[in-house]
Amino acid sequence: MSERLNVKDLITVGIFSVIIIVLIFIFGMLGYIPMVMLALPILAALICGIPYMLFLTRVSKFGMVTLLGVIIGIVMFLSGHTWVPIVTFTVCALIADIILKMGNYSSIKNSIISHGVFILGIMGNMLPFFILRDAYMSAMRASMGNDYVNVIAPYLQTNFLIVLIILTFIAGLISAYIGKIVLKKHFERAGIA
Amino acid sequence: MGLKLNFNLDPRTKIIILAVLSFMVFNDASLYVSSILVLIPCICLFFSNHKKSAAIYVACYILAKLIQIYILPNATGFMAIVLITFSYTVSRMLPILMMGYYTISTTKVSEFIASMENSSIPRSIVIPVSVVFRYIPSLIEEIRSLTNAMKMRGFGLNVKSLKNPLKLIEFYMVPMLISAVKTADELSAASLTRGLSNPEPRTHLIEVELTKMDYTFLAITCIGFGIYAYNFLRGVLIA
Repeated sequence: MSERLNVKDLITVGIFSVIIIVLIFIFGMLGYIPMVMLALPILAALICGIPYMLFLTRVSKFGMVTLLGVIIGIVMFLSGHTWVPIVTFTVCALIADIILKMGNYSSIKNSIISHGVFILGIMGNMLPFFILRDAYMSAMRASMGNDYVNVIAPYLQTNFLIVLIILTFIAGLISAYIGKIVLKKHFERAGIA
Repeated sequence: MGLKLNFNLDPRTKIIILAVLSFMVFNDASLYVSSILVLIPCICLFFSNHKKSAAIYVACYILAKLIQIYILPNATGFMAIVLITFSYTVSRMLPILMMGYYTISTTKVSEFIASMENSSIPRSIVIPVSVVFRYIPSLIEEIRSLTNAMKMRGFGLNVKSLKNPLKLIEFYMVPMLISAVKTADELSAASLTRGLSNPEPRTHLIEVELTKMDYTFLAITCIGFGIYAYNFLRGVLIA
């Protein structure tokens, strides 16, 4: 098997990044409820396990998962998130790819862990809230009103960010496990996994 | 048919404008600062046979701004949250969404590939991104027909189905993924037939180059962004 990515791999990457992006966006709509917005990475991590595990059945070369991360980051950037998702998604996807490589792209344990790492890239959508916290808060107090800020303010602390990252990682592991079950139940029977 | 303006921007221009517009989410500016940036998607849509969406966009934006200026200071309680969410979503996100809509609906995939290869971006990025552009509309169509099919079986989006979300997710996800895998196979077969895997540099039927129109639009965008950035930086320095 050649190490270079051929056209088929590239098209597979494109299709699956569309699916993951659409899922993230659909759940992103829920973010307009103040409390749910902060739990958004966890929800996204829970939902993306199934397509990711199906994607892994098509991966046998280094670079495909990284490319998936880059593409998702670019589309996130183009659709109005900041440039931070490009960086986080690329880094997380690269680590996930290395983890997969260590398991030789067939170990179930490694693929579950790699989903946990990969999905941490979605924290890039949240990071601006934390980094620019003060500027963001004052802008929000002026624009969104005091009620909204008072609900959200206690959760924009650094400690909470760490908790959120850990929870997202765990949710990623769980959803990858669910993805494995769904894969066995539906796709292997249909002969496409 | 009297006024037939040949209005066609280069995909690169569209993407640059999109990237610049996406800075607008960062903070909220008053209308006279951001008006140039806000008007760009409207002009693009208006001249490319999307007059209706251009009109809806402007109407929505003005409505949101009016709500912000006149109603919000007096609103309280639950109603305020709804109004705030609506008006700020529209005034921050809508320009970018409309620009994205314009980019996707007016760019042909071949045009996109041609212009990306002209600016020597690696093909391993160009091909997936063009697949993304191509596949998003058909995925949305697919989701719609899935919803219809489930409604026919008595499992539409209602209270009963929302009670067991796991089932809902499974019923949506599995057919979607199966068709996605099939689409991936078909697309790669089609592109192999077209010789996409040939490593030689490709020739293109469509001529893409940056025309006067592109430079004009880029210049307008730069001016608009300059005003915007100046205002933003001044605000930061004072505060």
